[in-house]
Amino acid sequence: MRSLRRYLVTVLIALFTLISFVAALQSYKQSASRAEALFDQDLQILASSLSQQYQAGSQQELGLALQVWQKGKLVYRSALAPQTSMSDAEGFSEHNFAGKRWRVFRQTPTDLLTVIVAQPLTQRQQLADEVITASIYPVVLSLPLQALLIWLVVSKALSPIKRFSAQLSSKKANDLSPVELDQVPAELDQMLKTTNQLFARLADAFEREKRFASDVAHELRTPLSVLQVNLHNASQQWQRSGISDPEGSMLALQAGVERMSTLIEQIMLLNRTNPEHFQARTEQLDLAGLCRQVVADWYPQIEKKQQQIELLGLEHLSLKGDAFALRLLVSNLVGNASKYTQVGGSIQLELSNEQDKAMLVVQDNGPGIAPEEYNRVFDRFYRVGGDRHQSGTIGSGLGLAIVRDIVVLHQGSISLGASDFSSGLKVTVELPL
Amino acid sequence: MLINTVLMFLRELLPLCLLLATLLVWHRSVWRSFALYFALPSVLMLSLISLRMVWISEQLDGLGLELLYSFLYLSCFVLLCLSALKAQWAMLSSALAAACLFSISGSNLLLYIWLPTQAENTPADLVLGSALGAGIGASIAVLWYYLLSELKQWRIQSFALLLSLTGARQVMMASALLLQSDWLPAGPQLWQTEQLLSEQSELGFFLQALMGYEATPSLSQLLLYLLCFGLLFWCCSFMEKKR
Repeated sequence: MRSLRRYLVTVLIALFTLISFVAALQSYKQSASRAEALFDQDLQILASSLSQQYQAGSQQELGLALQVWQKGKLVYRSALAPQTSMSDAEGFSEHNFAGKRWRVFRQTPTDLLTVIVAQPLTQRQQLADEVITASIYPVVLSLPLQALLIWLVVSKALSPIKRFSAQLSSKKANDLSPVELDQVPAELDQMLKTTNQLFARLADAFEREKRFASDVAHELRTPLSVLQVNLHNASQQWQRSGISDPEGSMLALQAGVERMSTLIEQIMLLNRTNPEHFQARTEQLDLAGLCRQVVADWYPQIEKKQQQIELLGLEHLSLKGDAFALRLLVSNLVGNASKYTQVGGSIQLELSNEQDKAMLVVQDNGPGIAPEEYNRVFDRFYRVGGDRHQSGTIGSGLGLAIVRDIVVLHQGSISLGASDFSSGLKVTVELPL
Repeated sequence: MLINTVLMFLRELLPLCLLLATLLVWHRSVWRSFALYFALPSVLMLSLISLRMVWISEQLDGLGLELLYSFLYLSCFVLLCLSALKAQWAMLSSALAAACLFSISGSNLLLYIWLPTQAENTPADLVLGSALGAGIGASIAVLWYYLLSELKQWRIQSFALLLSLTGARQVMMASALLLQSDWLPAGPQLWQTEQLLSEQSELGFFLQALMGYEATPSLSQLLLYLLCFGLLFWCCSFMEKKR
């Protein structure tokens, strides 16, 4: 199929022509056949009518009424004809007799002879109907056939578009490979080429972005590590040399470097978990076990801040997901809760399942965040209060952005709300089982 | 009568339309050249036959026209075989094969239109009948063209099979004319399928145009048909292998 338009126009015209012409021929044949039968019937009636004339007392039903008047005297009448004249007017007229409505024809060839023939109107209409019906039937019967064939032809013509659409809809988020179709019609050709060019450019752009962010983070990490070591050595040296730091410049410098280090780590993680790049390796895993591991990882910091942490709900919760990504998700949520909750505060993790969803709720009794900030905290590099963040905690503003990306990757949902404690934040994550 | 005109046009045009559609699927990429190579010899042969029809009919004890038609049918088959065997001659041979069939159909139609018995038909009957016949033939050809295009993509052997049937049909027509002229021994009649599928029915008509369906074939006709079908099918398979 080179062109959809040419295919549809030629095939539909061919179909209409073929079916209409064949239907017309069938109508012609059937009408001719009915007309033939009617003419035969007329011959029969005429023969019977004439034979009556020679069979005394014959009262055979003819369907026609016939009278012959000679010098004003009825010399012959058929069985259905009355004793009186059926019509006084010359030519065609309509009259009632014998309980029926009749079409009557009166002819007076000579002054002495009058012939009157009559036929019931119902019989005439019936005969006319038979001929007309015979000619209409093939046309009416051809309509469903035409509809079926049009449906088949249009479906066939549109099948490349359907295949194109199916290929696009079956693509995964990170699949930017070109769409390949057999027998591409002219109308779709440019669309397919443009779409594939767009995919190629998008793939290049993603690859460049991925490589750039990754390369920058990687390149920064090495000198930053060297800087951290040198800073640590310098601090040790200052202590040994008894150099005082009354304004806390060294501590501020160390905190800045640590924050930058955290930021780079988070950028690398964000880059890794971005749904456009991430190649998820889904497996069956136990979310409850994963939460226990994360709590264990964070426990030293939690203990340092004398916080209480508890894991409630299901002891085993099996779901399909990427172990690395989900561990990062729980880790970021627990880490945030610990970081932004005051010393001696409480953190609670609760696992449950509802129908086909796993639910993880992480809440604390920290200061929480205002409801109008709920949507913004998922933005990259956004921190509540900006640089004047009152917690004094080192952060990058990327933690919740990473969490949201992981939730999207697993086709789940995340929502924020007020904690069940007297204050604090409650994060609810729903993941499909 | 209208119906006679329709049937006459269909009988002559349908086989030609089917052959042309089949050959156009084969030579789709060079259809303009194909059309040119088909049109020129067609017009030339039709003019020659039409102008000399009376003289031709009187030759060979009055069998001139039948034998010429047989020769043209057989030439059509031979040219189809040649087009399958020789790739460089394929388009020209195919066009000439179609031209042979056109000259038979065309001269028969001209004969029908100018026959003295045509007086029984009104001009309206002739115009309407020819329009119906040509319309049905052309519509079937268009649908046949797209059906074959689909078949050719999925199963190349199906195209070879249908082309071979069309080719063998021409031999069947030639054999019928040769039998009629007593140039071919009839042999015993093999079967009678007139009751099962009449040649006058719609399907019988189509099959007759496509593959030379005969309700009462003789032994010699059947043998000739099978031989020619096998030969053309082998030629088509040979062509595919060479590709």
